[in-house]
Amino acid sequence: MRYILSAAIAAALSIGLAHAQAPQGYPADYGKLVEAAKKEGKLVIYSTTDSVAANPLVKDFETLYPGIKVEYSDLNSTELYNRFIAEAAANNGTGDLIWSSAMDLQVKLVADGHALAYASPEIKALPKWAVFKDAAYGTTYEPIAIVYNKRLVPAEDVPKDHGDLLKLLNAKPDFYKGKITAYDPERSGVGFLFCTEDIKNFPAAWDLFKAFGKTGAKLYTSAGAMMERVTSGEHLIAYGIFGSYALGRSKKDPNLGIVLPKDYTMVTSRVAFVSKQAKNPNAGKLFLDYLLSKRGQDIVANKANLYSLRSDVEGEATLKRVTELIGDKARPVPIDQTLLENLDQTKRLAFLSKWQAAKKGQ
Amino acid sequence: MPIIVYRFLVLGITALAVLAPIALVVYQSFLTAPFFDRAARLSLSAYSFVFAEEDFWQALWTTAAIAGGMAAIAVPLGALLAFLMVRTDVPGRQYLEPLILIPIFVSAVVIAFGYVVAVGPVGIFSTLAKDVLGFVPWNLYSLFSLIAIAGLTHVPHVYLYSAAALRGLGTDLEEAARVSGANPLQVALNVSLPMIGPAILFAGVLVFFLGFELFGLPLVLGDPQDVLVLSTYLFKLTNKLGVPSYQLMAVAVVVIIAITAPLVFMQRLLLRQAQRYVSVRGKGLKTQALRLGPWRWVAFGTIVFWLFITVVVPLTGITLRSFVVSWGQGVNLLDVLTFDHYRELLDYPNVVRGIVNTLGIGVIGGAVSVACYTAIALAVHRWNSGWTRLVDYLVMVPRAMPGLVAGLALLWVFLFVAFLSPLRSTMVSIWLAYSIVWLAYGMRLVSGTLLQVGPELEEAARVSGAGDLRVKRDVTVPLIKYGMLASWLLVFLIFVREYSTGIYLLGPGTEVIGSLLVSLWGTGAIDLVSALSVVNVMMIGVGLAVAVRLGVRLHG
Repeated sequence: MRYILSAAIAAALSIGLAHAQAPQGYPADYGKLVEAAKKEGKLVIYSTTDSVAANPLVKDFETLYPGIKVEYSDLNSTELYNRFIAEAAANNGTGDLIWSSAMDLQVKLVADGHALAYASPEIKALPKWAVFKDAAYGTTYEPIAIVYNKRLVPAEDVPKDHGDLLKLLNAKPDFYKGKITAYDPERSGVGFLFCTEDIKNFPAAWDLFKAFGKTGAKLYTSAGAMMERVTSGEHLIAYGIFGSYALGRSKKDPNLGIVLPKDYTMVTSRVAFVSKQAKNPNAGKLFLDYLLSKRGQDIVANKANLYSLRSDVEGEATLKRVTELIGDKARPVPIDQTLLENLDQTKRLAFLSKWQAAKKGQ
Repeated sequence: MPIIVYRFLVLGITALAVLAPIALVVYQSFLTAPFFDRAARLSLSAYSFVFAEEDFWQALWTTAAIAGGMAAIAVPLGALLAFLMVRTDVPGRQYLEPLILIPIFVSAVVIAFGYVVAVGPVGIFSTLAKDVLGFVPWNLYSLFSLIAIAGLTHVPHVYLYSAAALRGLGTDLEEAARVSGANPLQVALNVSLPMIGPAILFAGVLVFFLGFELFGLPLVLGDPQDVLVLSTYLFKLTNKLGVPSYQLMAVAVVVIIAITAPLVFMQRLLLRQAQRYVSVRGKGLKTQALRLGPWRWVAFGTIVFWLFITVVVPLTGITLRSFVVSWGQGVNLLDVLTFDHYRELLDYPNVVRGIVNTLGIGVIGGAVSVACYTAIALAVHRWNSGWTRLVDYLVMVPRAMPGLVAGLALLWVFLFVAFLSPLRSTMVSIWLAYSIVWLAYGMRLVSGTLLQVGPELEEAARVSGAGDLRVKRDVTVPLIKYGMLASWLLVFLIFVREYSTGIYLLGPGTEVIGSLLVSLWGTGAIDLVSALSVVNVMMIGVGLAVAVRLGVRLHG
């Protein structure tokens, strides 16, 4: 009896709060979603964003919607995908909101019918490329940068665009022997994505890859490992680093220089969707809306350094600032069906064998 | 409960726990898609894909080269070390003994991180060398360095078996050789070591086998040069097709098992032979330390130098890295000192949980595991039946499965066995995986203790009317209490160190330091990795100190 009473009071209170908090421009019945989410009381997020970066978002969300407890797990993108498909097949509960930087895998999950269709009220504020089938949403705007060691790379060597880098490697192959590092497309899905996007945008991409091969570039599977070795001087230039990570690290370590290539800068986005098997679908939707809202994006940009994709958010890590730096040369990777080509086995293996040849400088 | 029911019950549970994961892996290798996918069909296509891969053969060859190279380095050095420690008057032997065993108990990933920071291309010692010599005389990322490091860190394994065998032999033959004018080296090479030949051979097979399991060292040191071994090839396969390809991974696992299983059984044969060989020992061993004269300091210096290379260098590296913001060429370490990394550990709830869980799995999990190992050992204790041989083999089976793989297989088991699935994201899954992976090790510890219990007391109890189970509970178990305590401590050390088994089971609630280290290294959070490594080493240090203080023999 006491339980029922307290539940009733809690419900009554939450309705009051919900009405007070339904943001402007949202549908009139948004309060119902908030109410349903609070009844669920819990939200499970599977994400590739590390928990320290995401913590401010989670905390703010919990303040905004008291009564919803967020369980946040950070996993790497392959683990996340593995875990999600296995749990979906076993059908005994999985994450409510799936938020991953592996854009192609996310699109595949949506295409395979794992996402709940949900048109967020924030759609109007988002770029067109960032919305897929009203189910999956891009949530960040992360330029892919070239980073270098400020102590050890001569100022005149710092490349301003992709062409510069290619010229530099051809001009000073001995100086940069073993000193270049990049993602390994054979071992990392992100590396594969970067390579295929480079091929679309940069006509001399294969020449660049061959130059990597000739200078014995070292290939890794994580940006952290590359930046660690660039700041230590083991390598000098890292090609293809998430601007978000580079910005975060350069704040701690002034030795790290960042270049957004002037000819084109690839921009990737962390993709989020609500799982079809979510136990707390309403809480999932609520977090998705929050993440895309101005309030959420402000934290994405200014606390998490993940770069906001909304044009109305101010700060260093924002679409606005990237546009100031490189004008119209940003090339966001569109979240759509074409990403699935990356997962086509025949094409993938064909690319990889060409890559292996390039690695040998051929 | 009649004893026979107890025996078969334990046998059944052990068989299930050991065989289910392996069976699942083998089954998966014959499918075209993950086994839970409705589109999965039976086929050999995964095998033909893997066998057609250049990388696979490269990895296989490299693994064999590493395993062989490791054995070639570890066996002579370990045997010689045993000779020096057991037979000669090398100074400070009682202090050296626990130090020598450190490489066994420090996680290979920690050692590998340490080497990168210490002697990597711009490591602390490398920059020193460059200042003095003008160049760096070594290349950490070469295959040769990998083999050398793997070999040097496995010297203690050979040492343990050789020393135990030597201790079981009298010194009369050696003294005879000495009297006839042989110098100490001739005594070692012509008399002592040949006598313990079977034990050395056993240790050699063991090291070769461990070479196939090697994961932490090639993961970290092989990364920049793309040196692949079978276990890291397995990792690479995850991404090959863009989407996780369990069937390909399962094939790689089946290949690893196909190679390691015969090695495991070969070890068994050799061990039996070695024991038969040692049984010529007489009663009342008289041992006389061989005087090395001035050479004792050379021997001492060599041992210290080896310890410096395998323990001091990597541990200094990782400790130093945990206190600085950045390092390398042109960085003055005094400018970048910080305690922040340790403070940051507390910012990550998963890391804090990982530290707590690691202590928990070591202390509580270790105790429960020892209890289970004891239950199995008791089930076959004084059982005159062919079934005991089955248990012997059963216990060895998980040894053939690298921890990484056992973890993956158990993840599948936990996902798809309905009554287990609620336990998947709890430490129970990690505990089960650890207990299975270390079954052979734990069983050896416990059975070793049981062997020391003579049958008289048990018979006396039985004559006084106690039933079989009561005898075990009230007589046998109390008698092996101290042995179980020692086993607990050793299992604690192993569980705290373990890193590969938990990787696929890692999730919220199941974090342990070892798998977090691998995962954080993957994301490049080196600050955290170094601080967490030091925390891990400290836990092991405390465990080792307690063990030494209590006089626990650090081997089964």
